[in-house]
Amino acid sequence: MINSESYFDIVWRQFKKNRFAFVSLWILAPLFLMAIFAPAIASNQPFVFYDGDEVLFPWFRSLFNPSEPVDFSFNMAMIGFFPCLLVLLVLNYKWKRNGIAGRRRLLRAGALYIAITIVLCVAFSFDAIRPKNRYLARTFTEEQFRSNNLNYGIYSPIPFGPREQDLGAVFEGPGYIKPEALQKGSNDGFPHILGTDNTGRDVLVQMIYGTRISLTVGFVAVAIYLAIGVILGAVAGYFGGMVDITVCRIIEIVMLFPSFFLILTLVALIGPSIYIIMVVIGITGWPGIARLIRGEVLKQRSIDYVAAARALGTSHGRVIFRHILPNAISPALVSAPFGIAGAIITEAGLSLLGFGVRPPTPSWGTLLRLGNSNYSYWWLIVMPALAMFMTVTIFNLVGSGLRDAMDPKLRV
Amino acid sequence: MQLAPGDPLLNQMGSTGVAGQSSQTREAFLIQKRDLKLDKPLILNFNYFRDYTEPVHIAAHYASMTDEQIVAELPALADAKPGSPEAARRLFLKRLDIEGFDRRLADSDHGYRLAKAINCYVGIYCEDTGVHGVSSAMAILDADSMDLQQKVGAIRCLNRMVVDPFVYTYSRYPTNEETRAIVSAWSTWWKRAEPTFAKLDLGRREALEARFEALVAETSRGKLFAGMEDFDRDDMRFFAEKLLGDSTLRQKVVASLGLRLYIGKPLLIDVPRDADARLVREVMENWFAYFEPRQNEYVPDIPTKLWAVVADTQYAYMVKRLATFNFGRSALKTREPVSDKIVAAVIVSAPLMFMASIAIYLIAVPLGIICAVNRGKWIDRFISLSLFLLYSIPPFVAGMLFLLFFCYGSYFKWFPMLGLHSEGAESFGFLHYLTDYLWHAFLPVICLSLFSLAGMAMYARTSMLDVIGQDYIRTARAKGVPESKVIMKHGLRNALIPIITLFSGFLPAMLGGSVLVEFLFGIPGMGQLSWLSIEQKDFPTLMALIYIDAIVVMVSILLTDLMYVFVDPRISFESQG
Repeated sequence: MINSESYFDIVWRQFKKNRFAFVSLWILAPLFLMAIFAPAIASNQPFVFYDGDEVLFPWFRSLFNPSEPVDFSFNMAMIGFFPCLLVLLVLNYKWKRNGIAGRRRLLRAGALYIAITIVLCVAFSFDAIRPKNRYLARTFTEEQFRSNNLNYGIYSPIPFGPREQDLGAVFEGPGYIKPEALQKGSNDGFPHILGTDNTGRDVLVQMIYGTRISLTVGFVAVAIYLAIGVILGAVAGYFGGMVDITVCRIIEIVMLFPSFFLILTLVALIGPSIYIIMVVIGITGWPGIARLIRGEVLKQRSIDYVAAARALGTSHGRVIFRHILPNAISPALVSAPFGIAGAIITEAGLSLLGFGVRPPTPSWGTLLRLGNSNYSYWWLIVMPALAMFMTVTIFNLVGSGLRDAMDPKLRV
Repeated sequence: MQLAPGDPLLNQMGSTGVAGQSSQTREAFLIQKRDLKLDKPLILNFNYFRDYTEPVHIAAHYASMTDEQIVAELPALADAKPGSPEAARRLFLKRLDIEGFDRRLADSDHGYRLAKAINCYVGIYCEDTGVHGVSSAMAILDADSMDLQQKVGAIRCLNRMVVDPFVYTYSRYPTNEETRAIVSAWSTWWKRAEPTFAKLDLGRREALEARFEALVAETSRGKLFAGMEDFDRDDMRFFAEKLLGDSTLRQKVVASLGLRLYIGKPLLIDVPRDADARLVREVMENWFAYFEPRQNEYVPDIPTKLWAVVADTQYAYMVKRLATFNFGRSALKTREPVSDKIVAAVIVSAPLMFMASIAIYLIAVPLGIICAVNRGKWIDRFISLSLFLLYSIPPFVAGMLFLLFFCYGSYFKWFPMLGLHSEGAESFGFLHYLTDYLWHAFLPVICLSLFSLAGMAMYARTSMLDVIGQDYIRTARAKGVPESKVIMKHGLRNALIPIITLFSGFLPAMLGGSVLVEFLFGIPGMGQLSWLSIEQKDFPTLMALIYIDAIVVMVSILLTDLMYVFVDPRISFESQG
């Protein structure tokens, strides 16, 4: 019997041996869940609200009407999560019976989840289908509360929204609870665990929602530059000649410019928004990847299996993407987690300079910017700094674990 | 998109008022347009072969009219017969791309706004036509057949076409190139005005000579202006002779300044719309005085025209600026030369980066070696893990935490918050100055070095591990070389090869600075300069910075390649093939 262990199985086995990296991979899961389930953890819209004659479900409706497209897609991912889990449990049983490998099952599950999320996003982007949010921002005076106790709502664990301003509680420290006399809304009695910012928005809630921005920027930017780098590098390495020379010169030209400065310039010229940031990081980050892939493809191209595939009449595109790339892509994949960490840092740095996410949108960088304007409010600096440090460490650990696992020299 | 900033004036002239918002002022936009030659075509310039007679006639026609007069003319434009002068005017205005021109022309309610827009657009047309229209406009002035109104319009057009025809004083940072224009302007004036100034007697002349020399020696600009007070008008003869005679640059600067202060309007170049014939004639003479010596520039011969097709374009001027490292002046109000700004910033950044790099090498390499030698032991694990955590702290986050805990004062107040020097540091003794500087620079340098330090140490560790695994190390050990010597002599020297070549990152970093760290600590270095020039839309500085950075990176890549050959004898450029 031939040992049928595939390359990725070997890498996975090696990866599991690295305790730090393996643990970080498991910390990533809650981080993602936190980003996906942010409204379930923190929202100023009550799950159920009874105002005396009508029962409303404002939280559910608010999911479909966020002010930021990033929030919308994450909300759709949240709505699709449990149905998808259910479907997957059934499918998993079927796949297992058909003898499909575990790694492949995992990939299929991920693809299915992403597909469901995209379908939901597209479906609910039509105004006719989307449930409207009829619940207005209601505030109550203390007397109303006391006299008519039918007015009440059931809130998520942290009853504050990411954009809910409260000018009565500006720059309050961690653990601040509004005095009962000042409470106006039915969610005011809950403590601000990590304090509030300059407009009285809860810092913890902003950080939870900021996770969404950071992860999106990291993943989308890296996906963009991986795609550009892999395609250009593979084409250059495979075809050689003039194509290779052209691509290499483009790579060198882009590499000449200091990346942060270039990103800063482009973002400042085109306009500050997270989407621009993602795209700009994406289109400035690819040369390194392209170089790596080009080198690998050059190595692979001269191996016999490529000639065999060509001899069978396979097209160039299929040879590149089905035969060569799976063997050449690993160095690019190794750099992906480092790239995600770098993109998160870059986004926060841009926001700190004021060229990033605009203030009403919660993000770690905007919190840092607020903290930089006055160092008296330590929680605006320490908390996002810790969050960033943790996230970056996790991605770096996963990256270094992956690198060690893929390095045959370190294999025992 | 603000990639190509639009004219702020035009943005206000749309059919609905403020059509677009621009953060720039009109002055800043104009300065930039002229500095960067944005009014020229991009790549090929055929404008010298065009006939501008008719458009300039029409432009002059509108330039001489008030808004009310234009409003009165609008109905005639709206139903112009083909072939009539009105139709030609209408076609001309249509080509100016006034927003919704036809619609607004048909609707008489829009008359006044449209007239205002026409006025603006015609002015801007003159600006864009620039040198090409000057000869046509001068032809209008020269022709006897033209009435006064046309000539007034032509003069007003000329004022938009030619930027500062007469330059009277030097710029803030005087150069010899400016002399010619200034001397020619003042000599034109002097020829006309000389009889009105009384002769100076010898005693007065000597007194003036002494005062003048004192002013020339004066270095403070404020005192120079103060010293200019209480001259007599007749003393201007002395200044004019000084300027027009044989004198040094500094003397010319002072003389031109003096003349400018005491002569209010040396040469009139503009006229109001309702000017009388006498004034128009005087202004016309000034324009002829300007035009005569420059006739060849404005009506060039054929070879010059052909050359201008490729050479008189935005692209050609950009290449020229870049090739000669002549970055021009900043687009800000200070109009400082860009190169001065960059030099001032490099002087601040380079020592910081130098200290940071030294710190990185001095700490990282020994740490890496310790880890590699004790591979797998607790000390290796401890150092590796802490390096890894260090690697995950972005420099600006570290900087903010430092500022919060060590500088702000709610915890410790060990270091200053901002800047590189205490107040009044200029008067300190050398030692005091140096310690003050180091005290200020300590935290920024730490921030700059932390991140790279971790990376470098990890790199040194891997590189040393590679070497230790080699056969010749085993051989050395086998023949009984002491362990310390094996590591320091056989191991380190080979492990250093890849580390030394990391030096290529050193030069760009020294010049480039770090935007975020300098922003946090308020250090006026390269990083802050690049950030500020982006924020203030100072495009000349920005372009120069990017260009210099790119060149430095290129040079350091070349240096790295050469260093490989120098450090590692196994590599050479010849042995290939």
